[in-house]
Amino acid sequence: MTDSQTEETSYGADLRDLSNARDMIICEGVSKWYGDFQALDKVSATIKEKEVVVVLGPSGGGKSTWIRCINRLEQHQEGRIVVDDVELTNDLRNIEKVRSEVGMVFQQFNLFPHLKVRDNVSLAPIWVRKKPKAEAEEQAQALLELVGIPEQADKFPGQLSGGQQQRVAIARALAMEPRIMLFDEVTSALDPEMVKEVLDIMKALARSGMTMMVVTHEMGFAKEVADRIMFMEEGQIVEVGTPEHFFTNPTEDRTKLFLSQIL
Amino acid sequence: MSEYGVEIPNVVGMPPITAPPEEPHLPPQQWLKKNLFSSTFNSVLTVVASLVILAIVRGLLMFVFNPLRQWNATAVNLRLLMTHAYPADQYIRVWFSVAVLLILASLSLVVWRVGSRIPLPDLGKRLLIMGSAGALMTVLAPFSARATVIWLLISGLVLATGLGLRQVDEERSVGSLTLAVIVGAMGVLSLWVVPFGHHSYIAQRTPRILAEPGTVDMTTKLPWTIMLIIAVTAYALGRSLRERVPIKPARTSLVLAWLLSPLILIYIVLRDPMFDMGHVISTDIPIFLVFAILGSGLLLWLAHPHTGEIGRIVAAVILLVGFGTFLTPMRMVIRILIVLLALFALAAPSFSGEKRARHRYACIWVSLIAILCWMVTAINTPSTVPVPGEFFLGGFSLTLLVAFFTLLVSFPLGVMLALARTSTMPIFRLLATGFIEFVRGIPLITILIFFSVMVPLFLPTGMAMPEITAVTIGYALFASAYLAENVRGGLQSVTRGQHEAAEAVGMTTVQKTVFIVLPQALRVAIPPLVGQTIATFKETSLLYIIGLYDLLYVAKAIVPNQTEFMGSTRENLLFVSIIYWVISYSMSKASQRLERRVGLGER
Repeated sequence: MTDSQTEETSYGADLRDLSNARDMIICEGVSKWYGDFQALDKVSATIKEKEVVVVLGPSGGGKSTWIRCINRLEQHQEGRIVVDDVELTNDLRNIEKVRSEVGMVFQQFNLFPHLKVRDNVSLAPIWVRKKPKAEAEEQAQALLELVGIPEQADKFPGQLSGGQQQRVAIARALAMEPRIMLFDEVTSALDPEMVKEVLDIMKALARSGMTMMVVTHEMGFAKEVADRIMFMEEGQIVEVGTPEHFFTNPTEDRTKLFLSQIL
Repeated sequence: MSEYGVEIPNVVGMPPITAPPEEPHLPPQQWLKKNLFSSTFNSVLTVVASLVILAIVRGLLMFVFNPLRQWNATAVNLRLLMTHAYPADQYIRVWFSVAVLLILASLSLVVWRVGSRIPLPDLGKRLLIMGSAGALMTVLAPFSARATVIWLLISGLVLATGLGLRQVDEERSVGSLTLAVIVGAMGVLSLWVVPFGHHSYIAQRTPRILAEPGTVDMTTKLPWTIMLIIAVTAYALGRSLRERVPIKPARTSLVLAWLLSPLILIYIVLRDPMFDMGHVISTDIPIFLVFAILGSGLLLWLAHPHTGEIGRIVAAVILLVGFGTFLTPMRMVIRILIVLLALFALAAPSFSGEKRARHRYACIWVSLIAILCWMVTAINTPSTVPVPGEFFLGGFSLTLLVAFFTLLVSFPLGVMLALARTSTMPIFRLLATGFIEFVRGIPLITILIFFSVMVPLFLPTGMAMPEITAVTIGYALFASAYLAENVRGGLQSVTRGQHEAAEAVGMTTVQKTVFIVLPQALRVAIPPLVGQTIATFKETSLLYIIGLYDLLYVAKAIVPNQTEFMGSTRENLLFVSIIYWVISYSMSKASQRLERRVGLGER
């Protein structure tokens, strides 16, 4: 639906030069198994500061597993992941530090149903960032304004539409003032007419210079916003390139097959 | 189907927002036909069921109103059933406690805005039903001609009121609380005018029963009248203040008052303790002050966001010291305080924050140990109220007392056990699972007997524990195992996504548990938790078997053994069951209300 609207857009990668930016996320030979099934197979990639990376690929290809490894919701078994100069090990303090630097938005929103929207957003800043309550609530209100739903602050998540809930989830992640944002198929559980309102916020966020990793099936978004696209299949990164390269001139056969199926 | 056929063309542009078709209000004959006599089978069922119900009601009435029944056994022994041997000349203490509880109840009604409007015609309908039921029962019951006439007149009066109210405009309504006050006032008024009889048990060297015609004794009707006035006044006062007081602090302080008032009522008001002031000043207060000042200083420092790693080390050292104190002879309260301080210290970084948050944390610490120290002092202080037997309360008050303390202890314990059982740390999981499975595998009565007989034998020399305390501890352990399983069910209902969302914003495990997981889990667990609460309340009757003077003991073993009331067991048992039922049913009702309330935000 959104694809048709962004058909003519220029590709994001032309717009900026990130070669001198510092490395935000470094993955080296990251592997992970669920039992005998290998979900990630020596994934190596470096993501620069302010870069927007879109991860594409068929379901079960390891995209979600990978970005969930980056804030340690999943544990990788081999290789190394360094986020903002902190290496993810079993040390709890490192994990908590990384998690407070990395915002994440989920497919199923995962808002806290027993808290009002405002408290959903301000809870973590108060208790994790140790902000004064008044300041945190003020910030929450500002963020809700940013995502366009300031009037819903006193409602419970169950009273909002899916798109509104996902926007609250983005506000909640932004309230921690993260340096990196991870988006895990954030529009997949939304009704089509709500996809755009969420994508628009993500685009604005990308333009503001946030480092972002986005797992999505929205090709239009990938074309327009991504600096780089990574294509994953069977736990491996098959192809990496600018959106222009990826959509017009892919080199790998598997990428071509994938594109032919979805476009 | 046909509705759809008509509706669909209109739907396309804009869904028509129309109210659902009103359920036609059937006149009684049609309602009966539709619901009770719709088919042959249904009619037979209705007739048979009605006959069975009539037979049961008739049997019950024949039992209750049989002239052979010794209902004066219950009437004479009401005081015994309520408080057992509590001395009559000290009864003002009991009334004071009842008044405090009534005031708390009234204020709670105000603060939680309990009460609804009942339309008068609806009330009329209910009165009609009650009036007809009353008339039917009067006909069925084996009354004397005079009593039958009186009851028929009363039923007729109710019927007439009902009929009158049916005619009133639909808009007019009456508050349910007003109604409750009217009913209560009628009850109290009846104490002054209706010749219930003048019963009392005079426990002199040769006990004597006083049973004279007339209205009830002044020591009964006067206090109840005052209680009603106090409750209504408290409600009215609360009502007038409601708009001027912020709601949230009011609710919090009321909950605290509910939790604390039994401790104060029992240990100060009812027991009139004789404090050993020298000991209190030389030992108890200094211990409290040391822990309050040093502890809150330590916690303020630990809860500072910049304290960091050194704080955790300090907390761990305190925990080790706390466990170490169990190896050396020392006051029990000091050991408990050190371990408690260590737990607070360990959790401190999770609740650290700005100045207010830290002060609040320290305040919680100080108030918690204040209550703890107060309890230890109060329990160890002898009572001055002269009571025969070991414990100063009995009957219904003992039942309430044991139930309250059991629940007070077992709720936090149960939540902690459930958390331990679902924890990722194997040692906690193992201990909790072992405890729960062990306790659940033992009959309650075994545990009660063990704690009443065996535990006092195992206590170190010099340490005495009243039987009632030992039994309550045992019962609390038992109840906590069951509560833990209910809470665990709630914990499992919290989705993986909620855990991940909390983790993804960087919350520690403690924060995640306190702010995200437990509120949701407990909400889901309300129905089974209330079930367990009711069961816990009712099963206090097992105290009877180990020989504590609870409500059932008094009703079953004491009253029927009085020379005058030999064999009045059945009357007393029926009376006692009604008391148990009323309390349990109100708990059940309250829980339904609670469920609706907390369900609001979720949906």
